[in-house]
Amino acid sequence: MRHLVKAEIRRLLATRVWTGLLLAATLLGGGLMGAMALVGPEHFDPPMPGLDTEAGVRSILGILGYTAFVPAAAGTLAVTSEYRHGTAAVTFLFAPRRWQVLAAKLATYGGAGLAFGLVLAGTAAAALFGVAAARGVPLGLPAGTVLGLLARIGLAMVGYLLIGVGVGALLRSQVTALCAVIGYLYLGEPLLMMIPGVNTLYPVLPGGAMAALTGFTYLADAVSQELGSTAVRLLPPAAGALLLTGYALAAAAIAVVLPMRRDVT
Amino acid sequence: MTGDRQKIEVKHLTKRYGEVTAVSDLTFTVEPGVVTGFLGPNGAGKTTTMRMLTGLVSPTSGTATIGGRPYAQLRRPSRTVGAVFDANACHPGHTARDHLRVYAAMGGYPDGRVTELLDLLDLAGAADRRTRGFSTGMRQRLNLATALLGDPRVLLLDEPGNGLDPDGVRWLRGFLRRLAGEGRTVLISSHVLSELQQLVEDVVVIRRGELVAAGPWSRLAGPPSVLVHSPDADRLAAVLRDHRPDGDAPRVDAAASGRPDGHAARVEAAAGSRTDGDAPRVDALGGGRLRVHGLGAPEVADLAAAHRLRVHELVTERADLEQRFLELTKELTNELTDELTDDTGIAA
Repeated sequence: MRHLVKAEIRRLLATRVWTGLLLAATLLGGGLMGAMALVGPEHFDPPMPGLDTEAGVRSILGILGYTAFVPAAAGTLAVTSEYRHGTAAVTFLFAPRRWQVLAAKLATYGGAGLAFGLVLAGTAAAALFGVAAARGVPLGLPAGTVLGLLARIGLAMVGYLLIGVGVGALLRSQVTALCAVIGYLYLGEPLLMMIPGVNTLYPVLPGGAMAALTGFTYLADAVSQELGSTAVRLLPPAAGALLLTGYALAAAAIAVVLPMRRDVT
Repeated sequence: MTGDRQKIEVKHLTKRYGEVTAVSDLTFTVEPGVVTGFLGPNGAGKTTTMRMLTGLVSPTSGTATIGGRPYAQLRRPSRTVGAVFDANACHPGHTARDHLRVYAAMGGYPDGRVTELLDLLDLAGAADRRTRGFSTGMRQRLNLATALLGDPRVLLLDEPGNGLDPDGVRWLRGFLRRLAGEGRTVLISSHVLSELQQLVEDVVVIRRGELVAAGPWSRLAGPPSVLVHSPDADRLAAVLRDHRPDGDAPRVDAAASGRPDGHAARVEAAAGSRTDGDAPRVDALGGGRLRVHGLGAPEVADLAAAHRLRVHELVTERADLEQRFLELTKELTNELTDELTDDTGIAA
């Protein structure tokens, strides 16, 4: 097992995915957060509460949560590229106990997800505090609370990356899996929020669980208001964290169990 | 493990995909110490069989073992078996060295082994280039290097000659022969039969997932024929046709194939071989040329001299693998296949 993890780390570090992942974390964390703080949510279209309000701070942190499709896509790429480039067969020749390969991938990419989350949260914190200070805007939440929320987002990225690994192992086709992951997380879930009846499911979907971590209800509330539907009630943060962990574990289980019996052709 | 002679045994192996039977009740053995060619037309089931041997594809029924164990139960599989099924199996963003280092780590081999193999497979100059820029031949060599990381006793190669230039093919031939000479088990499939003809000692021929023939190529090919060029071709043909060999006619047998273990006795299909006492077959090729089956060149020369007939050229020709392969896969009926295999018991 130690050999397999070492191999997966070498595999990850040898491609540009790793550099791309860290660059994305920096751009999305520092770049996106810095840009949002600089412009100010009150100048968004439609306008949102300003940074000097709790809702305003939670909103831009919540928007950061929507970048979770990036680590999820990276996890999906990790597994599907093995099938796309035909190396899955070579890998399973070296390690016929296939669950060990997937477990090693989960461990490695869990670590990569953590690094992504740390860079994302770290650069976001630096950008938010830096820009707010430069603009002379007092944040609507204490610094400790902001850091706590960012840490939750960072950790949630690990869960999303593992969900990506699971979807990749399930679908195997790179294009299909990437479309499914990005399409669902980026477009599908926000669209679900708009469908009356279905939107009640939103709190228990991965996006709802992520929103629960930061208490980010602004988007859901705005949609409900626009459509005149019942407001979405998110789970408490702890329940959201538990649910997201559940999704990650389920995805990990799929990743480990599924390749066992399938033919590699 | 090093020094072990590992036999591949396939018994009643069957694979069905829904209604389609890819491999049907296949039974054969691959011996260590020789290069065995795995032949069959496209879609015959060669790749599926090789993948079942290595556990990548699960058989519907039957067993495939290497050294008596199913692949998945080998303690350190890459030490026992090296396999190349897809020449392009490498991440385009990885360098050759990266690729080998990943699998070296996976198999628990030192990085020094990576350098050794890069040198051995003539990839040292391209070691730090990304594989997206590699030719098919370079990728083929990279995958061969991957398969050799564990210095395995068994080598399974699916179409290893693909993408190799003539020098590469010659090198591969020598390399595989050397590995077999070290007592390793080498099974290779190829559709370029002329490549195999100069390499393989044993063959396994399958068609539509069923065994057609298996055994030493020398026996399967039958005795060589003799090409004669004579201005007296018509008269010589009559003399040769009337001749009855005394039973000492040259035959390719176990001793002649250099296999002291009586390996040739396990020939499972030798359609077309003559029995002692049969009349020689003489085909007139036109232009004063004859092809003689069932007599050796010395006998043809002696008979011609005895009858004062002129001979301008006398060439012994071994059977052509491609021709024989086409005969076996196209002309043999299923009944003949059954009869042949029943006779020898290779496919119960």
